[in-house]
Amino acid sequence: MSQSASTAATTRLSSVRQLKGRWWVTALFSLFLAVAAWMLLNLIIGGQCQGECVVGTLAQTLRVATPIAFAAFCGVLCERSGVVDIGIEGKMLMAAMVAYAVNLFAFQALKGSMGEQAAGDLSRWLAVILGALSAVILAALHAVVSIEFKTNQIITGTVVNILALGLTGFLYRQFLAENLPAGPGTFPIFNVPVLSQIPVIGPIFFQQKPLTYMMLISALLIHYVLFYTPWGLRTRAVGEHPRAADTLGIGVYRIRYVNVLAGGLIAGLAGVWFTIEGVDVFNPMMTNGLGFIGLAAMIFGKWNPFGALIGALIFGLGTSVTSTVSIFRPDIPSQIPQMLPYLLTIIVLTGVVGRAVPPAADGEPYVK
Amino acid sequence: MKTASGTNRVRLNWSFLSPLLLPFLALVTALLVGALVIWVTSGNLLTVFDAYVGLVRGALFKERGLSESFIAAVPYVFLSLAVAVGFKAGLFNIGVEGQFYIGAISAVWMGQLLPGLPAIIHLPLTLLAGAAGGAVWAAIPGYLKARTGAHEVITTIMLNYVSFRFTELMVSGPLKDPVSTAVQTAPVAHAAEVWLFYDIPARLQDPLNALAVALCAAFIGFVVARALRRRRERKARNAPMVLTVGRANTRRAPTVFGRHSSLSAALITGILTFIFLPLLTRLWWPFTDRYDRLHIGVLFAVAAAIGVWWLLWKTTIGFELRTVGANANAARYAGMNITRNIVLAMAISGGLAGIAGTIEVLGVSICRCLPLFFSSGYGFDSIAISLLANNNPFGILGVSFLFGAMRNGADLMELSSGVSKYIISLIQALILLFVSAPPIIRWLFRIRSERKLIDVSVTGGWGGKA
Amino acid sequence: MELALQAKGITKRFPGVLANDHVNFGLVQGEIHALLGENGAGKSTLMNILYGLYQPDEGQIFVDGVELQFASPHDAIKHGIGMVHQHFMLVPPLTVTENIILGQESTSINGRPASQLSILQRRKAAQRIRDLSHQYKLDVDPEAYVRDLPVGAQQRVEIVKALYRSADLLILDEPTAVLTPQEADDLFIIMRGLAKQGKSIVFITHKLREVFAVADTISVMRAGKMVGTVSPAEATSESLAALMVGREVILQVDKTAAHPGQPILTVTSLHVRDDRQHMAVNDVSFDVRSGEILGIAGVQGNGQSELTEALTGLRHVHSGKVAILDTDTTHVMPREIIEVGVAHIPEDRQKHGLVLSFPVRDNLALCTYYRSPFAQGIEVKYPVLERNAEELINTFDIRTPSAETPVGSLSGGNQQKVIVARELTRAVKLVIANQPTRGLDVGSIEFIHKRIVQARERGAAVLLISAELDEIMSLSDRIAVMYKGSILDIVDARTATREQLGLLMAGVKAQK
Repeated sequence: MSQSASTAATTRLSSVRQLKGRWWVTALFSLFLAVAAWMLLNLIIGGQCQGECVVGTLAQTLRVATPIAFAAFCGVLCERSGVVDIGIEGKMLMAAMVAYAVNLFAFQALKGSMGEQAAGDLSRWLAVILGALSAVILAALHAVVSIEFKTNQIITGTVVNILALGLTGFLYRQFLAENLPAGPGTFPIFNVPVLSQIPVIGPIFFQQKPLTYMMLISALLIHYVLFYTPWGLRTRAVGEHPRAADTLGIGVYRIRYVNVLAGGLIAGLAGVWFTIEGVDVFNPMMTNGLGFIGLAAMIFGKWNPFGALIGALIFGLGTSVTSTVSIFRPDIPSQIPQMLPYLLTIIVLTGVVGRAVPPAADGEPYVK
Repeated sequence: MKTASGTNRVRLNWSFLSPLLLPFLALVTALLVGALVIWVTSGNLLTVFDAYVGLVRGALFKERGLSESFIAAVPYVFLSLAVAVGFKAGLFNIGVEGQFYIGAISAVWMGQLLPGLPAIIHLPLTLLAGAAGGAVWAAIPGYLKARTGAHEVITTIMLNYVSFRFTELMVSGPLKDPVSTAVQTAPVAHAAEVWLFYDIPARLQDPLNALAVALCAAFIGFVVARALRRRRERKARNAPMVLTVGRANTRRAPTVFGRHSSLSAALITGILTFIFLPLLTRLWWPFTDRYDRLHIGVLFAVAAAIGVWWLLWKTTIGFELRTVGANANAARYAGMNITRNIVLAMAISGGLAGIAGTIEVLGVSICRCLPLFFSSGYGFDSIAISLLANNNPFGILGVSFLFGAMRNGADLMELSSGVSKYIISLIQALILLFVSAPPIIRWLFRIRSERKLIDVSVTGGWGGKA
Repeated sequence: MELALQAKGITKRFPGVLANDHVNFGLVQGEIHALLGENGAGKSTLMNILYGLYQPDEGQIFVDGVELQFASPHDAIKHGIGMVHQHFMLVPPLTVTENIILGQESTSINGRPASQLSILQRRKAAQRIRDLSHQYKLDVDPEAYVRDLPVGAQQRVEIVKALYRSADLLILDEPTAVLTPQEADDLFIIMRGLAKQGKSIVFITHKLREVFAVADTISVMRAGKMVGTVSPAEATSESLAALMVGREVILQVDKTAAHPGQPILTVTSLHVRDDRQHMAVNDVSFDVRSGEILGIAGVQGNGQSELTEALTGLRHVHSGKVAILDTDTTHVMPREIIEVGVAHIPEDRQKHGLVLSFPVRDNLALCTYYRSPFAQGIEVKYPVLERNAEELINTFDIRTPSAETPVGSLSGGNQQKVIVARELTRAVKLVIANQPTRGLDVGSIEFIHKRIVQARERGAAVLLISAELDEIMSLSDRIAVMYKGSILDIVDARTATREQLGLLMAGVKAQK
């Protein structure tokens, strides 16, 4: 149950309670799922994937899980404070486009004054920051409309998605579709000193690009904030029983605003991943529903950051395994594996794999 | 609201127009913001002018512009009705796009399955197949929602992606046209096509086709006659008591006869249509432009709007759907079956979306088939339309035309001003934003809010059952 | 005498309502001050203003003689005011400690408040809670999860929460509503103890008996106005009741002796689970006969809601049997139960009983819209619905602008009348009324009581469930007492005493 999980860090005294339905149950389940997926994979491709191919697939799992995990973290932050955010997809798209454009044009502007190498680095980080900020703007819209004006948050989230679709579609066709200068490309792989040399573990966890590391760090950070700090306690209280929080003088709106904006920042990182870490192009379809898959990962993870991370990794595993399959078995129509993540999302939502209770006030505007 | 306090300025009395006011202001504001975006991105105020003039010319005044606007409006009508039916039942079906595709692929399959059938059978059958495809596809998330609480917003959008892939798979695989070099399905049978207005005189030469039209006409005759009779009866009932009591017998007589009168009205209309319409259309027909693509789907759209209105507000089915949408707990208390109603609402919604896909394939697609890249993008716009029309079927007819016209006019706008036609999507998204959050508009135009009860409650959270 | 708290000329308007009309209120330090009034008299509004949840439109607040303005509860808390709300303001999935420290988590470091992102000091807080609970004899376990605590314990947590914030002045909003008479007595002992240690207490209630049991001073509110402040020595039940309602109150319902006929509803060893899968109704058996009212007394949350839901088909029956006349209705859909002839006045009228956005017309046909004369085939005959509505609006005196008005814009009493009109005008054999008068004014209560007695006199069996012991005692012919999902005893209403029922409600069964 999410409640017992949410108070995971409460106290070591009530440890008996914590053992029930705790994270390691989920972890074991995931491990089982991974092994099963693995056997299925080998069955389909006739055991051709070994050694380096295995490590490569797992490294790719972590890579493609990054945007899903970011999206899920955004969901965790928002929904723990009682705001449903269905507009993650839109924020990602927006951030992806802005980051792409910034990367490109900042590089053009900077390349003269400094070296190409330095200009590339600088423009990429600039792209990360501005891309994430553009998502924060959309998050602010969502926050104002759903917190202040108390509209239905599901509809507002959809509006954010459609608005982002319209805005990026227009700007892309107007400015980014053709005659583009060469950009600095995506982040290079950053090898963590020493750790990246460990066999198997190294290539999977420590030979990744920066945003992937940031994703892992933010999982830790969000867990700490939610369960070990006054802010987190207040956030959870606001998400469960805003009136109770209000009677204690806690600013419900303030808590929600900050969480939604912080969520927007993180959703922005998810979007930035596509164009600054994933591939060096932008197209208006590129987020491909990953924001929604992130929400499914969040639900799977019972509104906990580590749970959400595991959920994201499962989706990542599905994606990377199917792409490995398609390498070895080109005769299978590509559409079939492409459908799988979406079907998996639906299955997760139906609660076949253990349903959790969302925060009690999730999605309900607070009226003073 | 803080802003209004203290100021003592003269206010216009908007109240008589109030139901239309907010949507209208939303529209105007969105166009203004759109103008601002064009101005900023082009750096030239004149471009704004060029763009909007091009838009209007393209939508209404260029050759066949009006026809094309109507054609573009047809899928909007069906899809927005689909969204509206969902809304009324408390469901947010944002998967109409996927249901549109499934409807299209089902229709193509049925449209080429039985060559040689007459249109009177094949066309309805194909429409039915499209509707059934969409209905089944939408019923899945409906069932999941009712039974497991899986939120329809996510499941329907996930099914969108699945349906795109599935359609691709079908078009490039089992249903691929073996003759054509392009990746597309084989065309549907001529008898399954949705008629063009241009074609009607020719089509009516077939007596079976004329019969089909006559049947429709008879039905319309019946409905109209019955509606008139009801109105008469109601007037009689509202008359002072004394009168009714005194002449009770004489008043009942025409009522009994009246039932026959609607039947006979139907019969007469049908026979007259069957005999004279083919002749009349041969003698005189306004649609002589053979490149005019206007098809009878436009009539279907109007019929669908009336049908949905009747269903929602005049039948027990609609009563139940709306009750479930407004307060599911009360619906259960009143003995309604929530699961059945949710699945039914989604199925009706998906069926309408499926018909939209069907008509696009049978009446608009140039090859009368489903090509691999069958771009639509109608799905999200229809949410905006539905909200802008406040889920009113007749409002949807109007707003759909508006959106269809914008979509149609966008090409000429791009040509004449150099502004990407995708600005339209942006404007439509802004309309949606302003409509969905009336406080923004109220704040912008300093309109005092009226106390309004929430009509439909789309589940805000995940609706999870433990 | 120095007033710990004083309110002068407090006025608060809500859209369409004047909730507080120039209210004056004074609280002496160390006293227990009862604030008495009907539902909707403005007691809670006044207290919410004193606690900073609402801001008054006019008026001044003085604490210890200093005028203050409370922008939020935060300010009130800072000045030593604590409030225990009628609906507990506790977050169920959090622990007692977390609930208590919420909003006051950080011990300051070197005088400066610690950052909200610093680490929580749960252990230190838990120790302080233990000390407090020891000092004031309020037994709470800081490590327990609030969702696992019984209501009595939750109330103690609420009081500790206020004391943790060094409150000198406690506002208790209808604290006894969820308690048995015996638990209420325990609470009064705690209140006395707190007052003795110098805390001032405002005690909101609408029960006259409690006022005499514990209050030092009594203030009475009616329709947003303060109508009198008296000491218990110089007041009588009758004088207070008259002050509260503004006229003489008929405390008794006129009814003739019961003539019970054949059993209509027969319940045999019924078991029902609640949402958390606990057995909320445990081996319950009883019957209700035509022409009698069976009252089910008990503190809220002892399985009454689940019992009603199971009887009306809204909740799955785990085991046992429910029969209405000869029909087995244990596992049938709600509609079939309605068709058998059951009327149900639900506990929560806005959640279950009405569709607020629908017109009165449609709400009056909510259970019958699909059958003759309201429908023909699948078509609903709205003109018929309309005539039906006009008739019921007249007979039941429902105050509504028209039949087309959304029912949500009516007052609570009129909303309840819509439900009563709909349910009691059908040909019903069994009436199940759960808390039919909760939150209503005296006029509406009398009206609905009359209608329920009428239904009995027409030969219907009535099952009345209420947490108000007075209501149960004045209406019922027999009284069953529910405690923890079981019916402890069924007694004759003519001989039952308040003490006897109170003990049963607390789970103490007298030896026969």
